[in-house]
Amino acid sequence: MKWLELLTVAGATLAAAVTVVVLYSLGVRLTAIAGDAQQASPGLKRSLAYICFGLCSLAVLFGLYLIIPYFSS
Amino acid sequence: MVALVIALALFFDFTNGFHDTANAMATPIATGAIKPKTAVTLAAILNLVGAFLSTEVAKTVSGGIIREGSDGVQITPDIIFAGLMGAILWNMITWLKGLPSSSSHALFGGLIGAAIAGIGFNSINLEGLMQKVILPAIFAPLIAGIVAYVCTRLAYALTSRHDPETGSKLTQKRGGFRTGQIFTSSLVALAHGTNDAQKTMGIITLVLIAAGTQQPGSGPQFWVIAACAFAIAIGTYAGGWRIIRTMGAGLTEVKPAQGFAAETSTASAILASSHLGFALSTTQVASGSVIGSGMGRKGTSVRWSMVGKIALGWLFTLPAAGIVGALTALLVKTGVIGVLIAAVAGTAAVLFMFFYSRKSAVGHHNAIEVEEAGQAVRFAKKKAMARARAHAKAKADAKAKNDADANTPKETQR
Repeated sequence: MKWLELLTVAGATLAAAVTVVVLYSLGVRLTAIAGDAQQASPGLKRSLAYICFGLCSLAVLFGLYLIIPYFSS
Repeated sequence: MVALVIALALFFDFTNGFHDTANAMATPIATGAIKPKTAVTLAAILNLVGAFLSTEVAKTVSGGIIREGSDGVQITPDIIFAGLMGAILWNMITWLKGLPSSSSHALFGGLIGAAIAGIGFNSINLEGLMQKVILPAIFAPLIAGIVAYVCTRLAYALTSRHDPETGSKLTQKRGGFRTGQIFTSSLVALAHGTNDAQKTMGIITLVLIAAGTQQPGSGPQFWVIAACAFAIAIGTYAGGWRIIRTMGAGLTEVKPAQGFAAETSTASAILASSHLGFALSTTQVASGSVIGSGMGRKGTSVRWSMVGKIALGWLFTLPAAGIVGALTALLVKTGVIGVLIAAVAGTAAVLFMFFYSRKSAVGHHNAIEVEEAGQAVRFAKKKAMARARAHAKAKADAKAKNDADANTPKETQR
């Protein structure tokens, strides 16, 4: 049986999905904070949000890099 | 015979495409992230691109379940013809019922049935069957569901904001997830293209090798790749609206954050499994994710009766496609007339189901009413919130006035 492979797949799935979701959620939260009326430094929060979105898309691109054999092999 | 099998294989690819549009595009359509027509177009293009990206899966398809090679049995085009027949008919039936069922399982089921009827029971590699089909069928929805559940909880926990003093809710901007959904669902479509188009490429290559027109052990030829890519893209564009309806609205109501979490888990599960070699079914992963994300949000109910129906469909996929495959294999064994009868009967059945489906057409216009409904609800909510805010403000003003009134006499008294 391929229990080890099963575990690896489960672990990789969890790690990848959690990374993307956490980064994107943080970005969403920071956008919301930046949108608050009584926010002291909306610019900073907004740029932090964009950094989060950027990291998230980087994670996705890395995933693509992994599945396309043209790049990874 | 070879030409017939190739035509049938391409038709199977087509049914696979429109059967599986739902996996990628049901949730973004349900949340209104992408318009239905745009969604299927996007999915079709990405499937096309995905099919060209990799041929790794094509090289290993069907290996391991039916004993082939020198010590086993020779797979003939007849067996593949019968197997494809079973797979296509089962795909059409589940589509008619709007059930998301695995196209690859239908294919495996058809091939297994055909091999048993055509060659004998000893042609089946039971251990391979267990490893490649039955265990993944149990674990695919489980893994995807758990991951989607965790992600949905995380997404909601991270974006939930309360005023520390009053405890009232602050703006959360969860609509931002809608933009993210466009990207995650595209990723799912791409992953689907790299996975499922290849199964057909593998089949056609197998036929060509069996017919002796291609070297054994070589990869799919370019025209095969191109034909399969276009067949699956056209199928995707045709859109399996019935299944989209089941996935997008039948299982649970989907909010943008949930949709985002579900798609991310689907994409990562498919990518991880195809990269690490424990093949999981796209459809089962996607259904599991939608259910998991439904359980992850408070106040959402999962329609377990629908889940049961789908699970039952999965249970029947292998044997049902297998029986059709076996019957076809028996027919084919009788000779040319049998092949003709099988081909005619199969075409008739597909045409019948197509026209039967016309009676209660489900198209992009009525696949999911949730989009408009969701917008309406959002509107109502905003208005209600504005009203509540105005109300609260009026109250506060009145209170302030009262306080002021109460204060002024005190001051005058002094």
